[in-house]
Amino acid sequence: MFLFSLLFPVLTKLKKNTLTLSSVTKQAAHTKLKVLLAEKNQAKATVLMNVLSNDHYDIFHIAHSGMPLLKDVEQLDPDIIIIDIESPDRDMLENLNQISQFAPKPIVVFSEHQNPSTTINQLVKSGVSAYVIGEVSHQRVRSIIDVAIARFAVFQDLKQELAATKQKLSSQKNIEKAKLWLMENKQLSETQAYHFIRKTAMDNSQKMDDVARNILSVASIL
Amino acid sequence: MISNIEKKELTLGFMPLTDSAPVVVAYEMGFFAKWGLTVTLSKQNSWASLRDKLHTGVIDAAQMLAPMPIASNLGLYGERSTVITPLILSRNGNGITISSSLYNKILAQHQVTQLPMPFEANILKHEIAQRALINEKLTFAVVFPYSCHYYQLTDWLKRSDIAVSEINLLIVPPSNMVPSLQSGDLDGFCVGGPWNAKAVREAVGVTGVTSADLLQDIPEKVLGLMASWQQQYPNTTNALICALYEACQWLESIPNRFEAARLLTRAKYLDTPIDVIAPSLLGSCLTFNNHPPRLVPSYNQFSDLNNTDFNAPESHYGEKIADMMLNNGHINPEQRAQLDIATIYRKDLFQHK
Repeated sequence: MFLFSLLFPVLTKLKKNTLTLSSVTKQAAHTKLKVLLAEKNQAKATVLMNVLSNDHYDIFHIAHSGMPLLKDVEQLDPDIIIIDIESPDRDMLENLNQISQFAPKPIVVFSEHQNPSTTINQLVKSGVSAYVIGEVSHQRVRSIIDVAIARFAVFQDLKQELAATKQKLSSQKNIEKAKLWLMENKQLSETQAYHFIRKTAMDNSQKMDDVARNILSVASIL
Repeated sequence: MISNIEKKELTLGFMPLTDSAPVVVAYEMGFFAKWGLTVTLSKQNSWASLRDKLHTGVIDAAQMLAPMPIASNLGLYGERSTVITPLILSRNGNGITISSSLYNKILAQHQVTQLPMPFEANILKHEIAQRALINEKLTFAVVFPYSCHYYQLTDWLKRSDIAVSEINLLIVPPSNMVPSLQSGDLDGFCVGGPWNAKAVREAVGVTGVTSADLLQDIPEKVLGLMASWQQQYPNTTNALICALYEACQWLESIPNRFEAARLLTRAKYLDTPIDVIAPSLLGSCLTFNNHPPRLVPSYNQFSDLNNTDFNAPESHYGEKIADMMLNNGHINPEQRAQLDIATIYRKDLFQHK
């Protein structure tokens, strides 16, 4: 019995590294959805790949864990990731958006545990977005993945709003810090320091935040 | 004893960490049984799965990171869930470890043979500036975003006036931390036991600061329950609190701490040697391979015999954690404003007999 539940996680960008796929089932064509299956256990992976395999997906099986898996994800840039509910990599794959600005991806979590039907009802009530119980058909897997991607897009909008607020706060802080440094080290008044940052930004077609960061970066070396 | 226990059999989720000691001790020393409960401990592999299983009732209760109930109530994972905590299980227990290679580099940069401990994030500044010149950053990791690990690491950086944006900060599974430190993919991490000690024992890392040196006495792990579960099983909840409270008290004795370390070595718990698990429980912070450990009496704190409210989830702790979430950009001011912490950190439910 497979139970698929949908979560809304995200991936990061790391430096490009050589991709080593332990085993790759690739079905050509770029219009297909790129599905990354992260599963250390080969037997489990084979079962899932059989269920998933159809004309709509390019499936990449990755047996890595931890940072090597992260590099594979970065290299492969999948449309969706499928992972076992018992994998220790879940926290990594679901949470990288918290601290990284790079394009997030939806994740489908699968579980092969025999859950009693009451639990399934609770899963639905608690708002887990997509799930399948019983024998998983190709058709059902496809609809889960479609729903996962659609829901993910909605959730992502909310995340971006928060990220924008965060960015604004952090750039204000940088500007304040740079102003302070200029005031203390270049004997400028607060207004002069602000104008200096603004003028430098305008002269170099940069954002004030960028100028502030440069000042702070230089200051940290001096 | 507590009468009319509504649900005698329950499943408690935990992560295999040194500070899961109260949960393991309550089970192994018979405290659950004493309070009329038959508890099945369920080891989890990720905080995300532990959280989902609690939200959906696959497990009845869980040892959680202190910020997690707040994150659940705000729906930071996608859906709102009313998770509450009636009990603080531990404080402190985390440490910041940097790779041995970075440590040696810093020694060379400062032309010294060792750094005073606990060390400040200041020691990183030279390397951060060097890497900025080639558009690179130091890379640190924690195991979960809404965690004291995260807030302790950013606090440590902030004390030396280093912005979190000046480093790469990743979420990496605990079991991958030490290998990544060795491979050079990571320059450092902030994690709980046994992972700091493991990095030192394997000579790949240097633990320079513990959470007891930083945000002193912030709750680290709490007992998490669904609010509806507590309403349905109030007496079971009381029994659970009493059993775990007793385990926390039991852990106040240093000789008992060593016995707890022995229990935790078992395959069904941490599956890790005792020389890695025991030090932090005994107030010893391993620093560097072949260097003397540092005495940190409150490295792991589970209780305080002089303060019976030590384990009470006072709402000011929740407020403090929510402020850290705000200051780290994990929540926005509107989310902070809508939080009613007293409905999450439920001191009113805390009791012990």
